[in-house]
Amino acid sequence: MDTIVTVSGFVKRYKKHLAVDGVDLTVHKGEIYGLIGPDGSGKSSLMKAIAGVLTYDKGSVEVFGTLVDSERAAERVKQRIGFLPQGLGLNLYPDLSVEENIDFFARLRLVPERDLRERKTRLLAMTHLDKFRERAMKKLSGGMKQKLGLICTLIHEPELAILDEPTTGVDPVSRRDFWSILAALIQEKGMTALVSTAYMDEAERFHRLSFLSGGKVLASGTPTEVQALAPGSMVTVEATPQVEVIARLKKSFRQVESLGPLVHVFTDRVDQAAAKLEIETALAGLTPSAVRADKPELEDVFVALLLRSAERKESPGGLPTSTAAHGHDGLAIEAQGLIRDFGSFRAVDRVSFRVKQGEIFGLLGANGAGKTTVIKMLNGILSPTEGAGLVAGADMKTAGGTIKQRIGYMSQAFSLYMDLTVEENIRLFAGIYGLDTGAMNKRFQWIVGMAGLSGYESSLTSRLPMGVRQRLALGCALVHSPRVLFLDEPTSGVDPIGRRRFWEILSKLAREDGVAILITTHYMREAEHCDHLALMYAGRIVAEGAPADMKRHVEQEAGRLFEVVVDQPGLALAHVQQAGFRGAALFGTKLHVFCRDPVRDKACACRALEESGVRVMSVNERSLSLEDVFVYHAMALEQAEQAAGRHVVAA
Amino acid sequence: MIGNDGRVPEAVRLWALRLFVMTRKELLQLRRDVPLLLFLLYSFSLSIYVSGAGISMQLNNASLLVHDSDHSESSRELIHRFRQPYFRFDGEVQDQKVGVRRLDQGTAMLLLDIPPRFHESIVGHEPVSVQLLVDTTNAPQGLSAAGYASRIIGEFSFDRVSSRLGGASDGDIRIPRVDSAHRVWFNQDQNETWFQSISHILRMITLFAFLLPAAALVREKEHGTVEQLLVSPVTPLQIMLSKVLAMTLVILAATALAMASVLKPVFDVPVKGSAALFFLMTALYSFTTAGLGLFAATITKNQAQVGMIALLVISPMLLLSGIATPFEAMPPWVQTLMALSPLRYFVDVTYGILLKGVGLELLWDSVLAMVLLGGTLFGLGMWRFRRQLA
Repeated sequence: MDTIVTVSGFVKRYKKHLAVDGVDLTVHKGEIYGLIGPDGSGKSSLMKAIAGVLTYDKGSVEVFGTLVDSERAAERVKQRIGFLPQGLGLNLYPDLSVEENIDFFARLRLVPERDLRERKTRLLAMTHLDKFRERAMKKLSGGMKQKLGLICTLIHEPELAILDEPTTGVDPVSRRDFWSILAALIQEKGMTALVSTAYMDEAERFHRLSFLSGGKVLASGTPTEVQALAPGSMVTVEATPQVEVIARLKKSFRQVESLGPLVHVFTDRVDQAAAKLEIETALAGLTPSAVRADKPELEDVFVALLLRSAERKESPGGLPTSTAAHGHDGLAIEAQGLIRDFGSFRAVDRVSFRVKQGEIFGLLGANGAGKTTVIKMLNGILSPTEGAGLVAGADMKTAGGTIKQRIGYMSQAFSLYMDLTVEENIRLFAGIYGLDTGAMNKRFQWIVGMAGLSGYESSLTSRLPMGVRQRLALGCALVHSPRVLFLDEPTSGVDPIGRRRFWEILSKLAREDGVAILITTHYMREAEHCDHLALMYAGRIVAEGAPADMKRHVEQEAGRLFEVVVDQPGLALAHVQQAGFRGAALFGTKLHVFCRDPVRDKACACRALEESGVRVMSVNERSLSLEDVFVYHAMALEQAEQAAGRHVVAA
Repeated sequence: MIGNDGRVPEAVRLWALRLFVMTRKELLQLRRDVPLLLFLLYSFSLSIYVSGAGISMQLNNASLLVHDSDHSESSRELIHRFRQPYFRFDGEVQDQKVGVRRLDQGTAMLLLDIPPRFHESIVGHEPVSVQLLVDTTNAPQGLSAAGYASRIIGEFSFDRVSSRLGGASDGDIRIPRVDSAHRVWFNQDQNETWFQSISHILRMITLFAFLLPAAALVREKEHGTVEQLLVSPVTPLQIMLSKVLAMTLVILAATALAMASVLKPVFDVPVKGSAALFFLMTALYSFTTAGLGLFAATITKNQAQVGMIALLVISPMLLLSGIATPFEAMPPWVQTLMALSPLRYFVDVTYGILLKGVGLELLWDSVLAMVLLGGTLFGLGMWRFRRQLA
């Protein structure tokens, strides 16, 4: 197999900070190679060096057989590379139209006009951007910007595409779309791609991958090989009281996570029956109402690997319980027919839902679906055009001030003052919420304990690792012991362990202190933590229910999900789609296919594949993920919308 | 809500506490911004010294060329009257054209052309004229050079006349003449550094009073922290007021530093009026200018834009409010427009207190104008800020 990129002993230092510490990797022709890891794990430095735009301190980088060690060497390979830097649409020109952007990048690369015209038409059609040729780039949605970025990176048909976190901040539907476009292009042109991502669940999209943490490679190989590094089973338990279940399991297992009413435990027993038995024994008398063992997902494997690498020794520090005993009963949030118009655009359309004290409520939806507008109205910052709402016992129309005093809010950006220390940030918010000195000191101690901040008290916030920063922001939102907590995409850029720890705190807040939590997220694995979900599309709630119910509902409508391993995935996808399986999607070398009637449909799909000369290696049933649910709903709605002609949601 | 036993009502305590923690936050953030602090320190110390010592509007060292076609006793005497420090004799030219070229090149400022038979004409009691060419591309300098030169020539001429008359009547000069017996007030030594250094402090106060709060507010927008504040019980008024308070304190401290480190010890600038009143007025002016800055912050998206707006708004203020040129000399429409510039009033107040030693009894109208302007600007800023947040 041809080698496109060879990196060995790569070291990159920024002043004293060691960003990448001895990385080796090889990318072969025609594969999609993944770099997975949280913010600050060294992905971007590595990619920039391979693209020839960053110098490095030690080791060697070879691209197309050329040693990239000087600006001149880099110039030699640049024409054959396409590089998409990190950040939504950062390489594009906001004021130029879609077409002007493409033309600019093509002419920069001296693409002949005829080729340009052909490629542009094809790529625009493929990305469904052809309707928006004239639209200024800044007016596109996040997902569309990334697709345009991809077109501009690939317009000169480079042999190697380097894409730095192309799916960060993009909703699940656009993300899935992005991957299938990329897979198709790579297949068709014989390109090679090096792609990074912070979403662990995207690991299955890659042919091979490296998992980076703290500048080092923790694992690499094909997804199957990586999975084999931490053999074991993921056991799901449903039992009450959950707090007690978790406490008992934690005595013998390191990886325990609550997901809504369920508890997930990772055990290194591969045999599933033995794994179930082991968990039941550890529960010591608490009889579970349901126990299930599955193959662990890649994210579980990453967490296991992270926990294994010795340097991660953040003390869990036992979460302190809040002193105030609150009732768990009563309604925390009630939205009734909320409508909000901006001019002639209806951003939120008759949204109603209820959140009880002690409940975790997830609001899902693509960028621009109206989630943030709903939150703003409930927080009393934005007044609704119509409808009513009660938050923490106060009417959001008339008692905005009371609401503000009673709720906690944490945003995507964490909204901390980076140039203040941890202590100064906490004291600032304590003062804003009017805590007196005694209460402030008590609460300060509580936050430090809860968020595991001890030792960081006088560090500048900007120097904190992302996970710690996130917990500090949560602490600041909780400084006045609010009864209702709003979290707007609170986990971007945090590593899986930090994210688990964050959710542990949230579960505890909800279960023990009865705090109601409303959260929005793009990270579908996180949505599994919620007790109740509402999916928003174009300002409306289109599906609602507990995660398990929502999955069941999709299973009833669309069928069960099967994973088909084949030898020619690109070809296979086309044939399966032709055979009438419209929801089929490509994951690395595997196909995902919905089958309404498992026996008949499965046979039908396999026959379609065999007839076209694709060899089917194996077919396994998979349990649905929330991402599958999300994508299913969004695609159904989009198709309905297209069928109804250009239907405009405006009033 | 009045406390019945003399204690502060809870609502007032909370309001003040919030304002206090927000103000403290601003000061803490400023303390961490070392480059900005260094810039502030430089602006209120060394930069004041440099402009006080360096900037001069007076005629100094103007280069004089002479084309002397006479080379006589009289011509030499006339040339000698062009003295240091106002003029610098830069030599003679043989050809008048060479002199004109030097003027074109800008290497000389004046060209004195003395005709042949200059001395003969004076001795022979005939009227005679000399030609003076002056480069007035730099208008103030050129105009004063021309003014000084014609006075020198006039005096030379008067001396000739009086010596002739005196010679005729044996020393008893009886010709009508008027002498000017002027008294210089407020700045007896006519020390220009006083005016320049105080002007520069006003410039720096204006700049920082505009930029500091504006940048602080826009930074909150850029970093998204304003969102966090809005869902908390802090009101937009407290957000804006805390920035003004913090930055006013900083500016007062910087002004005190400038007075104590440069104005008093180096330039001997007197404080004839009440220093307390001067600082109080500086605080009022900072508030007024901060209102302008905050308003600018509400119409911009990032700090770079604030910087550009500052150039746009501050430059005309600095140029046209009376510290660069006399206010009275400007066309009426500029004067009317500049009624909107708070600096125009603060200039009167500052010179009034520091150099003239007057108090509020004379300055009240300027003070009132600053209060009204500041209140209006702050109110406008508040209104924009609130509307933006919705």
